[in-house]
Amino acid sequence: MTITVKLIGPFVQLFGFSEKQLDVPAGTTSDDLIGLVSIDRSRPKIVTRNGRAVVPDEALADGDRVVISPIYSGG
Amino acid sequence: MNGWTGQFLRVNLTAKTFKKEPFSDEFALKWIGGRGFAAKILFDELAPGIDPLGPDNKFIVALGPIAGIPAPNTGKAVVAGKSPSTGGYGDGNLGTRVAEQLRKAGYDALIVEGRAAEPTMLFIDDDKVEFLSAAEVWGQGTYVTNDWIYAKYGKSVGVLNIGQAGENLVRYAVVRSMEGRAGGRTGMGAVMGSKLLKAIVVKGTKPIPQADPAGMKKVGYDDLREVNRIDKKSGWSIQSTNGVLAWCNEVAALPVRNFRKTHHPDAWKVDGERLNNARIATYGCPNCTMRCGITIHDDEGRESELDYENVGLLGPNLEIFDLPQLGSLNYLCDDYGIDTMSGGCVLSFYADAIDHGAVAGDYGFNDAAGSKKLLGQIARREGEIGNILAEGSMRAARRFGHGSIDYAMQVKGLEVAAYNCKFIPGMALAFGVSPIGAHHKESWVITFELKQSVRESYGPEKAQKVVDLQRIRGGLFEYMVACRFPWIENGWSLENYPKYFKLVSGLDRTLDDFWVISDRIYAMLKLFWLREYPQTDRKLDYPPAVWFDPTNADTEGPIAGKVLEYDKYDGLLQHYYDIRGYDKRGIPTKATLERLGVAEEGRAAEKYGKLT
Repeated sequence: MTITVKLIGPFVQLFGFSEKQLDVPAGTTSDDLIGLVSIDRSRPKIVTRNGRAVVPDEALADGDRVVISPIYSGG
Repeated sequence: MNGWTGQFLRVNLTAKTFKKEPFSDEFALKWIGGRGFAAKILFDELAPGIDPLGPDNKFIVALGPIAGIPAPNTGKAVVAGKSPSTGGYGDGNLGTRVAEQLRKAGYDALIVEGRAAEPTMLFIDDDKVEFLSAAEVWGQGTYVTNDWIYAKYGKSVGVLNIGQAGENLVRYAVVRSMEGRAGGRTGMGAVMGSKLLKAIVVKGTKPIPQADPAGMKKVGYDDLREVNRIDKKSGWSIQSTNGVLAWCNEVAALPVRNFRKTHHPDAWKVDGERLNNARIATYGCPNCTMRCGITIHDDEGRESELDYENVGLLGPNLEIFDLPQLGSLNYLCDDYGIDTMSGGCVLSFYADAIDHGAVAGDYGFNDAAGSKKLLGQIARREGEIGNILAEGSMRAARRFGHGSIDYAMQVKGLEVAAYNCKFIPGMALAFGVSPIGAHHKESWVITFELKQSVRESYGPEKAQKVVDLQRIRGGLFEYMVACRFPWIENGWSLENYPKYFKLVSGLDRTLDDFWVISDRIYAMLKLFWLREYPQTDRKLDYPPAVWFDPTNADTEGPIAGKVLEYDKYDGLLQHYYDIRGYDKRGIPTKATLERLGVAEEGRAAEKYGKLT
């Protein structure tokens, strides 16, 4: 299945891309995706799937848009 | 007592007099400084009902025990007075060398009274105070005024000044400093303008009293380096505050088209990546370790300093997705001394009112040229529309009628910051219960709502989070006085602040001790509102009606079909009142006032409005 991954803020510069599409096996979770795109697991972050927050073991579906962002605090 | 200079400077512009005024140790320990000092002074000294733009209002610059001392992000000052936009207590903070210079001159606060006979610049030079003519720069913008001051005194002095908007009493005029910093979006620039006070310049040379100056110096400089190191590692400053724009767009929290929409396919054109790519310089406040101001060339080749709030509200909110164009609007706001956030909301409201037939006009969304023209008309109060819009969206809506108040994006008269809460209940509450109107500086809970709670919840956990953050953001950082960014954006521990407090004062205080002081100040601000609006009720703490309007729901995206619900919001508001010990009108009960040590102030307020 195909997932679009979008990084936010400094993650773009730190992890080397802004947005890309990935072909991943069925059953891939949001946490699996973090590993696939080499995001530092120790960094506090919020992951959303189609605009809604997800838990790490939530399975993704074909066509999902996953956004990985540092924890912003609203300036 | 160490930690404070122990005196205020009181200046009367009418009589051209000044005096040093000592304050007691008890006063210092009860109110700490900054917002705490300002709230107590204004409550004690302003008669309820006075005109905020009249000579009876007072303009206060207040500092805290760590303000101006080298340590992470301590170069900030609080400016305060009765707000021309809300009629309640108003304040704001801004980065300025005044923080250090005024304390070195020997003062923890400046209280300005009366009204000058002619445009005036106040020059404070240690023990000396001069009332100088500002006629030469009256009518000029903040950049020319700032340069004029620097040419006279050099760049190391502390400067506060206003532009044409403050002079012409635009109700959301700000105070400016250091060519790029602004504060007091509750109309503090108009309060200065009403006193014909164009600028304040401060030079100080005395040591700031500290219990352990050598220890503070070592810890302060070590921590400045450490926060800077953390920021470099986190990368926060790469996109600065505007990093959040792309995220708001993804989670349907971006203000688009006067908050009618929550996301837009062109938002990427003005996001943090594009802003970073367009960067020509970076600006920060004194003692800053993580500079947030990103400067670009605007569409007329001028340098314009941007952050998320002004990009969001002068860009997507006006459906302008061109950085140089919105940079130009930002430059004009900064030069005129118009608050960029309220300025953006007022323009978007006007475009929306025309769209909905509430008023006729030749203006609309995605109209950068029209927006530039209108900002000039507002700053000069030129013509009927310039005058109406200079009053802010709440008063403009009353003038336009036709139900336009429902989509005037404001609470208590202060326009909403750049977070669209169409379906973010906790953040809507944060705007609703902010004691100065819809400002995000008091509390910001969106990430919490999505990650630690669920977006649909109106539960007590969200009300508790709003209270927790108010104690820190609207409390601790506003009375210490320091910038909150090291903590909120780079995780700098809050425990550092009692540590700094001990080094300067010699006193042991825990964070729990400080939360009591935060709650005391919030209670005082509510008493200020009660005196001004004795018939106050909980509706004052409601966000704009359009966020509850089902016909305004998104038709696609993550919150399609959803808006806030009145009965559930009211329940959330009640959770907040219960946690704070407020009654059903949102006023602290007598028992709460007693617990917080402000029963006496409660009795003073009770002459005007009922307490329960």
